[in-house]
Amino acid sequence: MTRILRVGIGGPVGAGKSMLIERVVPFLAKKNYRVCIISNDVISKEDADRIRKNLATDQGLLPENMVIGLATGGCPHTAVREDPSINLAVIEEIEVKYDDLDLIIIESGGDNVTTTFSPALADYTIYIVDVSGGDKYPRKGGLGIETSDLLVINKIDLASSIGADLNVMERDAKIVRKNKPYVLVNCKTDQGVEQVSQHIIHDVLFDEPPKNMITQVNS
Amino acid sequence: MNTDLSELTLMQLSDSFFPSGLYTMSNGLETIFDEKRVSSEGDVYDFLEVTLEQQLGPADSVALSNAYDCAKNEDISGIIRCDDVLYSMKLIQESRAASCRAGSQMIKCIAAISSNNFLKSYSEKISKNDAPGTHPVVAGVCSFVMGIKKEQAKQMMMYGFCVSVTGAALRLGMIDHIQSQKLLHKIKPKIHQTLEKFIDTKIDDCWQFSPQYDLIQMTHEKKFSKMFIT
Repeated sequence: MTRILRVGIGGPVGAGKSMLIERVVPFLAKKNYRVCIISNDVISKEDADRIRKNLATDQGLLPENMVIGLATGGCPHTAVREDPSINLAVIEEIEVKYDDLDLIIIESGGDNVTTTFSPALADYTIYIVDVSGGDKYPRKGGLGIETSDLLVINKIDLASSIGADLNVMERDAKIVRKNKPYVLVNCKTDQGVEQVSQHIIHDVLFDEPPKNMITQVNS
Repeated sequence: MNTDLSELTLMQLSDSFFPSGLYTMSNGLETIFDEKRVSSEGDVYDFLEVTLEQQLGPADSVALSNAYDCAKNEDISGIIRCDDVLYSMKLIQESRAASCRAGSQMIKCIAAISSNNFLKSYSEKISKNDAPGTHPVVAGVCSFVMGIKKEQAKQMMMYGFCVSVTGAALRLGMIDHIQSQKLLHKIKPKIHQTLEKFIDTKIDDCWQFSPQYDLIQMTHEKKFSKMFIT
């Protein structure tokens, strides 16, 4: 069984976790990376169904069975942190069947700023917030904002409408994250999405070519 | 000094902090709650009682017990037989998968803290799909390996199921934290009686009969909006 690299994406309800995945996967697919998505839903299968319809059914970027929805018993943080066993069981089943995958993206159910991923579950974590919570968001910290490998600040187009100062958010993000990377994003227009994708390719996949390309060269 | 740590081990394995994923399962309670067929502490008790009598007692506890004995005798084919029989009795795909996933994660965790070779052999059978690795059978084997007494292992499995259902009732807003503890206290004699009833049942004589429960679980499988896996 080949262990496939894993990225965990966490963040509050409505911050844009699913939308970020829907925007990042096309960039990865364009470079021939094969991706599986596990969406931890809090209440419904809505996120998984929407991602599947968009990325698999409509765009054909991945097979429909590569988008999996998981219920978490009302405990989204538990499912990715202290007891990730259900996620791990599903991942192990995928690893046995699809060893040519390059990446598994695990979307946490919407939760609070203390969300972190178990190191047994995710190799790299992205925490996403949006500006509508106010420009105090990064400053207030929380493990997700402070310790994730990449912080994404989404919906920057709304900043002026709600009186949020992006300069303040950037300044505070640098301070609380001790200069770990962050990206300002507008998922609606793809602004900043390529940067997020490049972080994944560089920091998680170490700029290795997709597995299927290596196989073709070797054969 | 011969230190007996078995009771502490029992606490560790039966603690809800132990990573088995059982908190993601309502075992059908969510469906009947949504259909407004259950709403009170008494309803949850009735649900638990029927499930223990008609499913966990005659099937899961028997499989656990027989698997425990097989582990004692290092009888790997006997364990696989227990696993196959119990797997075939879990009629609902969602419940079957959930049981096997909980089982596979439990054995992985115990294998990380025990170097027992027999456990390793059984774990390899599960990895190679030569055994389904249902949660009760894995719990039986792990309990033996970790020095937990058979009766306690069965109690642990039954009590764990009740905690899972009661926890779901709490999170669904049916009962409060005090009612949940009252329920768990009240169900103890039923757990004891049920285990006594099937104490000597052999794996080939185990059974389960809960058609209405199966239908509830089937309905849950198709639900669009749900908090729980089962």
